[in-house]
Amino acid sequence: MRKEFVFQPAGQEPRGSLLYQEHIKRTAACHMAPFAGYVMPLWFSSISEEHKAVRQAAGLFDCTHMGVLELRGPQALGFLQGVTTNDVNRLEVGLAQYSYVLDAAGRVLDDVIVYRRGPEAFLLVVNAANEPKIRAYFEGLLTERWTVDQDCPDRGLPYKPTIQDLRDPARGELGMVDIAIQGPKSLGILEDLVDSNTLFLAQLKPFRFVETSIQKIPCMISRTGYTGSVSGFELFVPPAKVSPLWNLLLEKGGPMGLVPCGLGSRDSLRIEAGLPLYGHELAGPFNVTPFEAGYDWAVKLDKDFFIGKAPMQRASHNSTMKVARLRLPGGKGIRPVRPNDAVLDTSGRCIGWVLSCAASGEDQIALAYVEKDRGSEGSPIGIYYLARNPGQIKQGRRQAVAKGDGLEPDLCGTVLRRFAKF
Amino acid sequence: MVVIPGMLYTKEHEWVRIEGTSATIGITDHAQKMLGEVTFVELPAVEATFKRGDSLSVVESSKAASDVYAPVTGKVLEVNSDLESRPEMINQSCYQDGWICRMTVTDPASYKGLMDAKQYQQYLKEM
Repeated sequence: MRKEFVFQPAGQEPRGSLLYQEHIKRTAACHMAPFAGYVMPLWFSSISEEHKAVRQAAGLFDCTHMGVLELRGPQALGFLQGVTTNDVNRLEVGLAQYSYVLDAAGRVLDDVIVYRRGPEAFLLVVNAANEPKIRAYFEGLLTERWTVDQDCPDRGLPYKPTIQDLRDPARGELGMVDIAIQGPKSLGILEDLVDSNTLFLAQLKPFRFVETSIQKIPCMISRTGYTGSVSGFELFVPPAKVSPLWNLLLEKGGPMGLVPCGLGSRDSLRIEAGLPLYGHELAGPFNVTPFEAGYDWAVKLDKDFFIGKAPMQRASHNSTMKVARLRLPGGKGIRPVRPNDAVLDTSGRCIGWVLSCAASGEDQIALAYVEKDRGSEGSPIGIYYLARNPGQIKQGRRQAVAKGDGLEPDLCGTVLRRFAKF
Repeated sequence: MVVIPGMLYTKEHEWVRIEGTSATIGITDHAQKMLGEVTFVELPAVEATFKRGDSLSVVESSKAASDVYAPVTGKVLEVNSDLESRPEMINQSCYQDGWICRMTVTDPASYKGLMDAKQYQQYLKEM
């Protein structure tokens, strides 16, 4: 008997990322914090300096906490076509594709990138926080445990690829963990270090990758990233080789302005670019759908079947909300905008809520969940700060605001283009 | 972590310099390091009264909004209004230029139990 997918996360003590020993040489222990089960650096110098370095030169990010799953075999393509929303048939060898994994109810379990390494060999890069859930989901699909179609409870997914965790040290030289080098100088830094002809790197288009080596370290270089940088790469290398590569890149890239970056600037850069974070601009308390997040192109409703297709069809035309990118005044002396602060229209009526916000030079850039017809580019909007502490509650500041409530704005800003490239 | 002798400290990482009945208040080096770049400080109103442990001020960075609790019971005499335009002084000089406010202590018993520099240093070590 198939059942709805449910996942109980195991409460595990956070452990240091694979690069932990490198990080504590470069930042204070109090700037390290648990994130998705790993102890990771929040910043090395400061969030704003690292943010600026990525926009003007280059930054190096520890992404070894990201899940890297390999799906292999004659049924790998069919399996991925069934469990992801984008069209894997269109994915040629050497290409990567942004996509979603849904359950039969249409709940977004994760946003992922699928890489095709060969006719029957794929990589799936998943969020660190979602990796145990995705693995449990896939294992249950292989053993026919989960419902895959709510309208047809007996339906199964008849594809059984081999699925392996490439971060497992037992995979040796065939294993893979992710680090990212992002920003305008990243191409030049890599060109000086790759072992083969460097022409291919300059010509590598977004969402394409090559398998090569850097100073004899086997390396898959992909032109992808999470910063909005036009020039940015992710490097997938065997776990045992990631520390030497990290140090080599910092040593050779340092003179060109490359700096190590923590989770703080990783977040501020992706917010500035408008990129969603699972749990904030996707799924999360507002249950944001891919359509609302601005990624309808990654959900191919014309595919014969994928898990969650029917609920996605309904979601594609039912929503009245969307994610918008806002510019607000920032800098010194302005209270930072935070998630759940209210977004107001020009008459002071609440039209939605902030999902994420970060400093961007003298501005703040927020991603907010707002009424679809009020959030067009160029529209003026206001922000109402929710109470941050008991003192402010006593002074009458509200702890929650509902859509339609009328309020005085604390800050005024405008709606920007949904995404930005740098 | 810098800890200055001659001042008193709270478990919530505020410092107090007592001179007669006047208490100058700020946040410690440990607190500012945890927050990162401070971009906003909400100052208390002059003349406002607080009991020890009341929320006195809010210091915000892009990472977090952190309450500053009154380390003593008393009335606010003076606030460091320079912090409104230069909140980064909390990072640059948390024990001097980054002071938050000065209070008159109305209940001297309220600062019993605060830590001295040596005890605070030990407390940081054990955290």
